[in-house]
Amino acid sequence: MSSTPATNTPVAPVTDWFASLEHQTEFTVMTQKVSKHYVMGGETIHALDDVSLTINTGEYISIMGPSGSGKTTLFNCIGGLTKPTCGNVFIDEVDLAQLDAHELAWLRCRKIGYIFQSYNIVKVMTALENVTLPMLFAGVPPEEAQDRGVALLKRVGLGDRILHTPKELSGGQQQRVAIARAFANKPAIVLADEPTANLDLKTGEEIIQLMKLMNREQGVTVICSTHDHKMLDISDRIIWMRDGNIERIARRDEVKIQISEMKEH
Amino acid sequence: MPSARWEIGQLKLRPEIVWAMAISSLKVRLPRTMLTTLTISTATAFMMWLLVAPTSGDLTERQSWAVMLVLCLIVSGVGVLNTMLMSVTQRYREIGTIKCLGGLDSLVLYSTLLEAAILGLVGGIIGAILGVAIGFVLALADYGGAVLQHFSLVRLPVQILIVFGVGMLFTTMGAAIPAWIAAKMPPIEAMRGEK
Repeated sequence: MSSTPATNTPVAPVTDWFASLEHQTEFTVMTQKVSKHYVMGGETIHALDDVSLTINTGEYISIMGPSGSGKTTLFNCIGGLTKPTCGNVFIDEVDLAQLDAHELAWLRCRKIGYIFQSYNIVKVMTALENVTLPMLFAGVPPEEAQDRGVALLKRVGLGDRILHTPKELSGGQQQRVAIARAFANKPAIVLADEPTANLDLKTGEEIIQLMKLMNREQGVTVICSTHDHKMLDISDRIIWMRDGNIERIARRDEVKIQISEMKEH
Repeated sequence: MPSARWEIGQLKLRPEIVWAMAISSLKVRLPRTMLTTLTISTATAFMMWLLVAPTSGDLTERQSWAVMLVLCLIVSGVGVLNTMLMSVTQRYREIGTIKCLGGLDSLVLYSTLLEAAILGLVGGIIGAILGVAIGFVLALADYGGAVLQHFSLVRLPVQILIVFGVGMLFTTMGAAIPAWIAAKMPPIEAMRGEK
């Protein structure tokens, strides 16, 4: 069976996974010389400076960097939440700059899932309603949305809390609802903005594992900004940012070597 | 825009979601909602009373009543404006989140307006009942049983409709600015931290 391509193996070993990525020409996100400048008190701040980046389909990317390094700005540009001052962002070859407000709303609904640091579960709705909302926006019939919502909540481990409101859920549980909601419309990318920052270590770890699981199961590209070094272990690639520039991009295996080298010293 | 894997579509506004959002928003802020409803009720009750009360007094007296009525309506309209502005600013992050999930500007606009219109309708109903009751009791005290012969049941439905209409008009006008602010809110508001 040596002729079987690695991509067809259901659970590919890590090395094969990287090999398959390298041969993949499909990318989900591409930024070309994206810059974002703000004027603050007469001074121009370069939040992002000529950032060019390609993210392959199905990759799990972590963006690391101190606050003010531009990771949130990059994130917002990719998510269609901020218009870059110059440069282009492509999602599946669609140039975001070419889209009008309605089309951007469609893109946010169907192609991008957002996970927030502060969960942002709609307070007046139950867990299930939160998960079905983006599906209803997308035009999924209510019954089908219900079924899919229940299945998703079961998948994230909240099968017994479907009708609970955010008040009755812990932080970790709320973030699970947010994950189910982000994956509801089978998006092309899921953007997670410091998803574990408000959680304790153990819960944070569970959330990270869940995001990785959903990433693998659904083949959805995940881009996650984080301070959390536990994220490194499950990321395919890690992007370090500093002063609005990409400082370094490394694959996980390269990072692992460095960590072990660091430990030896 | 062409794409190898999919094409950009358009989202449609679903009336049932507009309705659900307006109702849930009202429910959450029920105490304040009730207060706002009360101010609308007072204004509409006043108006109802003016309409059903036997027309007496000279022109200047009736004119001054009319001026008071308009003032009353404006005050309740400003009350609605205040309540809805609060409701919108409290929900900055929620509205941003809904927009991130694919909520359209029009969804936010209509659900906020609908919320106000429901307030206006409920306030109008209470006000109309109160107005008729007060007017009737006062007239009864002044003129005794003779009132019953002059009381026009034919005109009453029309008067009630006018009162409802004016009540809803003023509340919706009061809600117009907050609704517009909410609708135009950028989705990036969802990214703001806890405040």
